[in-house]
Amino acid sequence: MSLAVATRSRSSQLDEVLARHPEVPRLIAVKIDAQRRGVHYTDRAVAAVDPERHQLRGSYLFGSRDAQLTPLPESLLLRDGTTILTDPTPLEQDPYLVDFLDGRFWLTDGEERIESVELWPKPAYYDRTTSSGIPMKYVVTARPQRLNIFQSSACHFWGNGNGCKFCDINSHSKQQKAELGIPTRLRPEDVAETIAAALEEPGRFTGICLTAGTDFRGAELFDSEVDHYVELLQAVGTKFRTPRFPSQLIGTAFNERQLERLHRETGLTSYTSDLEVLSERIFQWVCPGKAEKVGYQEWKRRVVAAVGIFGRGNVGTGLVGGVELAKPNGFASEDEALAVTLEEAEDLASKGVTTVYIVWVPRPGSEFREQRNASLDYYVRLAKGLHAIRAKYRLSVDFDDYRRCGNHPDSDLARLL
Amino acid sequence: MAIELPAELVALLRDEQSLKLLATVDAEGTPHVVSKQSLGVDDHGKIYYLELLESSRTNRNLVRAVWFGGRISVFVRAGKASWQIKGRPVQAHVAGPVFQRAYVGIRERLGDVDLAAVWVIEPEELLDESWPTRRREEEAAHPHFIHLDRIRA
Repeated sequence: MSLAVATRSRSSQLDEVLARHPEVPRLIAVKIDAQRRGVHYTDRAVAAVDPERHQLRGSYLFGSRDAQLTPLPESLLLRDGTTILTDPTPLEQDPYLVDFLDGRFWLTDGEERIESVELWPKPAYYDRTTSSGIPMKYVVTARPQRLNIFQSSACHFWGNGNGCKFCDINSHSKQQKAELGIPTRLRPEDVAETIAAALEEPGRFTGICLTAGTDFRGAELFDSEVDHYVELLQAVGTKFRTPRFPSQLIGTAFNERQLERLHRETGLTSYTSDLEVLSERIFQWVCPGKAEKVGYQEWKRRVVAAVGIFGRGNVGTGLVGGVELAKPNGFASEDEALAVTLEEAEDLASKGVTTVYIVWVPRPGSEFREQRNASLDYYVRLAKGLHAIRAKYRLSVDFDDYRRCGNHPDSDLARLL
Repeated sequence: MAIELPAELVALLRDEQSLKLLATVDAEGTPHVVSKQSLGVDDHGKIYYLELLESSRTNRNLVRAVWFGGRISVFVRAGKASWQIKGRPVQAHVAGPVFQRAYVGIRERLGDVDLAAVWVIEPEELLDESWPTRRREEEAAHPHFIHLDRIRA
């Protein structure tokens, strides 16, 4: 009885939010809510997983809500092609369920079937090994249409305890290295060999994303990080016949000299540098390392400067949506958080920078592990607001859309533009 | 409610010589009709449409339809036979085995083209639009709809 009551209540919450925002598709709201609450795979679902066809969890930059490296499915696709990036979540946290019913996978909430889902398809190269003996799935990871190169999973901001408070990159990296032997720093030869193998599969991938933890070292701040990106991008570039290839680098806020070098010496087509939160005051609290080394205003200035190098529509910044509401120093209300965030995002858009968000997941390995993320209504309004800004400024987000990325509910909506 | 396509219509949709039109509507309700020879029927009897251009009007309208429950229309004609199918896009394969098979297939047929999505369309209503059928239906349902000179003694 209590389960039935709870189910009605949760389901009606989704309907209530959609009733307030009829211009937001139900499928995108379902995605947001699944990312917000996480998913739990039932025994039936786990039994139906076919490791030959379905992609299982592999190397990743960040950890998950269950803090485990279990061979469960990587994630889900909705029937409209929308990707849900979500991770296994303990039942006590009230996640959606992924079940296997009547011959297919379903996202369910209690007893209610919410949507049929597909598991991410496993790429063929996941069964192969590099010449140096590393499983290729640990070198380059896949999303349904994107290749991820996580060049280094060590972040120097954590060196002096100034890592971003929502982030678990270093603790997760240690766990991956200890349990799976996943390298913390990639070699260009391994990356190039793996990319070549991935490209053998026709129609499988549309873009490449590189990201990593921050590296302070070098003659100038971040030179060492840039060196490594240049090295990897040049190695990747040897596998294409065009000078440029659809790609995104999500890096630290590089200065103009570093950005020009990346653009000049590699085939990179877009640049993203995450401000994480669009409030200087909260940025200083949540991202103390970024605040100390670069500062909010300078970070923002550098992202805007990148537009002059990579071009309008090819530069972005990412937010950890909802972290601006973290306690005790975040915004006191969702209305205030939204107003400030969208005002700042509009300022960035007016200068050619697009803003996207991910749904914040308070991960066990992060300082904010005891916090809670924002309401579904908030995330729906944030997606709507960022989408409206992009539409107003006719700002493309092709490099970070539903297909090239799949982790931003706001850029999912760009399919209508 | 999905309906089954008659064998004659399946054959028309699979015939490369048939004329196939796909009609969608935009956010303002304006129809957008285009000739789409990549409309077909798969081995399970489902209508599919291969969209080659991610940002085409048709693709955007199909996304809007799958998100908000909108309907589309397919018209197919060969010889004297013509049909209209009203339905809904219910799925877009943008990755995975169905997509990849279609990607390889369309490139074998058309050369160096890309593929954005394999849309699955669920038919809800069939209209036999061939002239003899439509005329017979009209005369049976509306005997008053006739000019008198056509039946004068």
